[in-house]
Amino acid sequence: MDIESLKVNEYKKKVKKGYMWAIFSALLWGIWYIPGTVIWTLNPFDTMSIDIGLSHGDTAALIVTAILISAFSAAMIIITLGLWNLVTGKFKEIKRTAVQFKSCSKWFILAAVCGGPLAIFGSYLAMGFVGGAFAAVASLLFPVVSSIVANRWYGEKITRRAAIGIFLIIIGGVSIYIGGMVTEMMAEGVRWLGYAGGAMAALGFGLEGAVAGKGIDLAEPDAGLYVRFLAEATMWWFIIIPILLILGFPMLTYALAVFEPLTLLVLVFIGLSFGYCYAACYKAFPLIGVGRGQGVANLYGLCAVIFILLFMGDFPGWTLLVGGALCLIGSTVMYSENVSEEAIRV
Amino acid sequence: MQLPIKFRVLEILSDGKCHWNSDIVCLLQSEYSDLKGDYGRDSANFDIIELASNGLIMSVESKVDEEGTYKKGFMMHKYVLTDVGKDRCVYAGVYKGGD
Repeated sequence: MDIESLKVNEYKKKVKKGYMWAIFSALLWGIWYIPGTVIWTLNPFDTMSIDIGLSHGDTAALIVTAILISAFSAAMIIITLGLWNLVTGKFKEIKRTAVQFKSCSKWFILAAVCGGPLAIFGSYLAMGFVGGAFAAVASLLFPVVSSIVANRWYGEKITRRAAIGIFLIIIGGVSIYIGGMVTEMMAEGVRWLGYAGGAMAALGFGLEGAVAGKGIDLAEPDAGLYVRFLAEATMWWFIIIPILLILGFPMLTYALAVFEPLTLLVLVFIGLSFGYCYAACYKAFPLIGVGRGQGVANLYGLCAVIFILLFMGDFPGWTLLVGGALCLIGSTVMYSENVSEEAIRV
Repeated sequence: MQLPIKFRVLEILSDGKCHWNSDIVCLLQSEYSDLKGDYGRDSANFDIIELASNGLIMSVESKVDEEGTYKKGFMMHKYVLTDVGKDRCVYAGVYKGGD
């Protein structure tokens, strides 16, 4: 084989690896909605929402409970990704990355703001207020946000094929969204805060992708991601929860009541699914770009609805099939794009 | 405090010259205690691949390592900093000023 064919093969392998990480991310992200929904029904979170509901009203109760769930979610991800980084020997690189605040780690901290208190918190709100299927499909529009922001802000190239693929995925997402929403509305009635949470998730995940893309080209993905989750956990545990404590919410009482076997097991599943979903996503970004990476990772919507159907028996109907098919066609269009271009940046 | 690995790769290439990935990886392995062994070598090389994927550096010459001086049968690339890479180098504060 001549050197040119070898170079093309090497490049194809690299792109394939990027898409593979993005597909892993989609699968793990889809699974996350199962423990993410189940956790609301377990102690201390269920008693917490009831108790605080009696003293401060339902809305405050669900927001405060979603904050504690998000905080534990971040803490579990620190533990699960910590193990990953321990095994892969990344802690020295994490330290080296974290101290480069001006040019690198500040973007991951900003990504943590977009991803944590906006996207992940919004997702837990949507899961708690409306349901897992809705929460999953509500944020399907996030690649639009990330692709446009990444393109306008730092010129990430979106090829025509990638644009068509993203468009098809979005149409598919909207179709799934409508199906899920109609089902949820018929079953439970509209909970506006849950729907706002869904919108927060779409905006937050999209912004996070674009912001992280600004720092990820200078950082090792695992190191950058760990800095991002350290920042998110710090925000929850050292800023937001102390503020709620000052406001008189008994956060520590409920936080200390989390050590029940089933609750801990579900939290571990949250850490494993969402932590490694992020790890896979951040590995895909440098190889195929933020727009395309998130475009493929968007298949999580379909995965989530299927997993929820399998584990919880919630079937959103024919719009799921149409939407799911469109998502698959869209990601195939993106996957089959011409891989002869060397760089993803203009 | 040492620079993150990708910062250091960009710093090495910011002298304006072309460098083989094998030379960059060997230099990194001599400087970073956490990059020892075959795993450290492949991990450092993957950081270089990611920099190329992002368009910060580009390959100007390639060859197959027939003799196994670096890694037998492996594609080796001679990299140079791109304009985008130069901007990122300046942004990261590691630009040495080579043209």
